[in-house]
Amino acid sequence: MSLLGIAWRNIKQRAFTSGLTALSMSLGVALVVATLITGGVVKQAFESGAGLGYNMIIGAKGSPLQLVLNSVYFISKPIENISWATYTEFLPAHERPDGNDGTWAASTQTAVPICMGDYFRGHRVVGTNSTYFDRLTRGNGQPFEFSSGTNFQDEDLYSAVLGSQVALTLNLQVGDTIAPTHGADDGKVHDPFQITGILSRTDTPIDRGVFVNMEGFYLQDGHAKPIDLIEVNEQVEPDHDDLPGKGLLPFNQREVTAILLETAAFPGLPAELTAMGLRNAINEGREAQAALPIAEIRVLLDLFVTPLELLLLLVTTLVVIVSAIGILVSMVGSSLERSRDVAIMRALGARRSVVLATVLIEAILLAVGGGVIGLLLGHGTVGLIGPWIATNAGVTAGFLSYTTAELLLVPFLIVLAILAALLPAVAAYRTDVARWLG
Amino acid sequence: MKQSLPNTQSSVEKSAVLELHDVKKSFSVPGGDPLLILDIPFFQIAAGELVALEGQSGSGKSTLLNVVSGIMRPDSGQVLIGGLNIVKLAEPQRDRLRADRIGLVFQQFNLLPGFTALENVLVAMSFGSQVSSKERAESLLEAVGLADRFHHKPAAMSIGQQQRVAVARALANRPRVLLADEPTASIDPSHQQQVIDLLQTTCREEEVALLVVTHAPEVAEQFPVRHRLEDFNRAAAVHPTTSGVY
Repeated sequence: MSLLGIAWRNIKQRAFTSGLTALSMSLGVALVVATLITGGVVKQAFESGAGLGYNMIIGAKGSPLQLVLNSVYFISKPIENISWATYTEFLPAHERPDGNDGTWAASTQTAVPICMGDYFRGHRVVGTNSTYFDRLTRGNGQPFEFSSGTNFQDEDLYSAVLGSQVALTLNLQVGDTIAPTHGADDGKVHDPFQITGILSRTDTPIDRGVFVNMEGFYLQDGHAKPIDLIEVNEQVEPDHDDLPGKGLLPFNQREVTAILLETAAFPGLPAELTAMGLRNAINEGREAQAALPIAEIRVLLDLFVTPLELLLLLVTTLVVIVSAIGILVSMVGSSLERSRDVAIMRALGARRSVVLATVLIEAILLAVGGGVIGLLLGHGTVGLIGPWIATNAGVTAGFLSYTTAELLLVPFLIVLAILAALLPAVAAYRTDVARWLG
Repeated sequence: MKQSLPNTQSSVEKSAVLELHDVKKSFSVPGGDPLLILDIPFFQIAAGELVALEGQSGSGKSTLLNVVSGIMRPDSGQVLIGGLNIVKLAEPQRDRLRADRIGLVFQQFNLLPGFTALENVLVAMSFGSQVSSKERAESLLEAVGLADRFHHKPAAMSIGQQQRVAVARALANRPRVLLADEPTASIDPSHQQQVIDLLQTTCREEEVALLVVTHAPEVAEQFPVRHRLEDFNRAAAVHPTTSGVY
């Protein structure tokens, strides 16, 4: 019979105590795993959301972090809108009605407008144009892919593209129609938009977005800038072949919530320098602010997420250590019973090192058992609360989500268990056979 | 029946499987001089011999078994098992020798409660040098009449059945000598004879020398060789009324 077999039978012999010990450890591990995964997924989601083909966001003056959270992660509320005219300052001559380059056109490679404020059954609706999916990326420079259908055409006013999670959650398909609501889920219901495409999963906030044609968006009640708020000197754009035609909202009544900007690099200058120069120039003006998503997210992570993650990790590590102490208490508690068994084994010829190893293996088995159950419980917990996390925190987490730190968990537990079992193991090693069997 | 003092080598004709030469063992007493428990000039058992050793409580029976089995090291003297002086061996070597060459049957049986009858035999095998054999473990249990109790734990067996498992376990590694400490003391009188018969029969079949330590004359008188510990343990004469388990 192997040492493993002997240790396993010892555990079975004290099934109730061993079970409670393993359960205590598994709950601790489950807490650690759930914390690690949730923290890891949140961090990963924030980091992945900062590499989507743009490096700057232009929006209304206010908190740059709020601008980033709202525009990139679809959480928090929009600050305010900026004028259409501000948007056109980033466009080249051929995209502007006056035929001249915008003020910031030379510093701009791509400018994608987004309009926010509507909802569709718990998901944020983003009004934009086809450049969103044509020129931006799904992360790491990879172009967007559609699991079914295609990008919408700008001429097709009432068309929409859904993120993968939205389509999955709401069981929507290409050809179905969706009717966003104004301002909130229970707001006024807008005209229906027809789904032309469903995006492949990106593991970014895009998965949770409902994207509608901005031109159709503008035509909904409450989306046009009221006439009495239009400044007298604000120029009303004339109709143009390539620009809004009959039935579209006039430019002077348009606003955008933000502009997703990929800055251009001036010849001979690093791209970062161009971006910094543009940001400073815009921020010095009165119209808008420029925020760098990566910088804002880095600040968020450094100031809030990372310390919180460390704190949670510290707390949960303490929980695991307490669980390991549970092994010690359990083993010390059964030491009287164990001493007799050890004395019997020693009388049968077991060496001291053998009984010591048996006790340590017993502790390792408890740690591994508790650890594995804890891993399953932790992943199960994340799987259960995953939809809640997705809804409230804007990140996707499920049973199969994992972090590399988990790989260290079981070895860490084994080391802890060995440390905890050293005392009873040494006691077993020193058992006086003659005394216990006399 | 042979009833003679074992302190002359001529009393044993076969080759000795167990020999004690000038063995002394004492225990420290708080606030006093060390208490001498064993002082045995010579003791010997031949291969396959069935020996009963009588002794009163406190005469040093348990200490003698602990010294012979290598659980305790004597203060001086030699303990030879199959010609090998185990006093000179380090503890791990004595453990291995005990597993391989000595079988132990205790008064309280001392079966491992979490293990089945078969596992109790197998676990003893795992401490020896030979490869564990499930077939041998089963055959030993069959030999002691427990063919239908392989997978029963001690708590689910009668006292007599537990003692049978203990005998089977003691023989697991084909020992040279089997030491039995008051093997009938915990058994009701109606079953005591069965245990004595079982020990003698199995030891004859396995060609194992048997040393049964007992305080009961009715047990001792059933063995072909019978000794009184007090007759060759000079310490017993010095402390005839020593109490406690020694």
